[in-house]
Amino acid sequence: MGEVRTLIVDDSSVMRKIVERALRQAGLDPLVVLEAGSGIEGLDVLKASQVDLILSDINMPSMDGLEFLRQVRSQNLAPGVPVVMITTESSEEHVKQAIQAGAQGYIRKPFTAEQVKERVLPLVSAA
Amino acid sequence: MLLNGVRRAAVANTSVPNGRELEQRMTVSLRESVHMVADPKHLDESVNEVFQMMLGVSVERVESPLPLRDESVTAVVGFGGVLSGACVFRSGAEEAMQVAALMTGMDFTGIDDTVKDGIGEICNMLAGAWKGKVPGLSANCGLSIPAVITGRDYNLHVQAPEFQLNHRYAFNGVAFSVTIVCDGIQ
Repeated sequence: MGEVRTLIVDDSSVMRKIVERALRQAGLDPLVVLEAGSGIEGLDVLKASQVDLILSDINMPSMDGLEFLRQVRSQNLAPGVPVVMITTESSEEHVKQAIQAGAQGYIRKPFTAEQVKERVLPLVSAA
Repeated sequence: MLLNGVRRAAVANTSVPNGRELEQRMTVSLRESVHMVADPKHLDESVNEVFQMMLGVSVERVESPLPLRDESVTAVVGFGGVLSGACVFRSGAEEAMQVAALMTGMDFTGIDDTVKDGIGEICNMLAGAWKGKVPGLSANCGLSIPAVITGRDYNLHVQAPEFQLNHRYAFNGVAFSVTIVCDGIQ
């Protein structure tokens, strides 16, 4: 697998590090991580850089993950790039909203590295 | 300590329903199943799930009060929607640093922003896991962004809650408490 440039969007810097660690444990290597603390920051990163994968929280201040995802898709900022939502919200309604907004995957917090591997690797391999 | 700020944020995080969703929500009445909402086993399962998966430790529920500490850390995540209230995590400063160390693999010598961030996220996951265990609550109850309070000699007081679960847990000598406060239920 070639270099995987990954954008992690989460208002918690600790969660961004935990997600990065889980991706490395999942075998995404070499991994280049770009970080954003909100949806707005995430859009700025995508305007300046190309990525192969996006992982985003949903509950964030200023712009939540669903609105971030809608903006990514409507502005065509990362065409064909898989997006996985990582969030504490686990209801079918939230999953449906994420899929409708353009997400390809959904991981509920708390999560294990194995769950990240199962949900993310197939998307990266297929992209 | 007032919880109104976190509650407003939690209500704001409840998604705006369309007509059909609104109809579904109106038929959801948690009041009829308050015994399920207040079931203590949901909280114990949620705490175990979060600590097992994110920190790799098994916690056990203990009856003894939290040890007295000069400095403590409290994280609050508000609930809004069909249930209003909050999930509260509390521990001593030393214990909070140990939890954050297990989460991040880093060492801490004081309550810095990373420790506060980590404890806030633990509380966020506890709140999410807990509401996910109650049918009808998961989709109809929003969570606020975590608020973290640190300091000495303060108390959390909620007037006349509908119900309150206050459990204490420990792992490897690290003790903490998790409280679910519900002050309104539809």
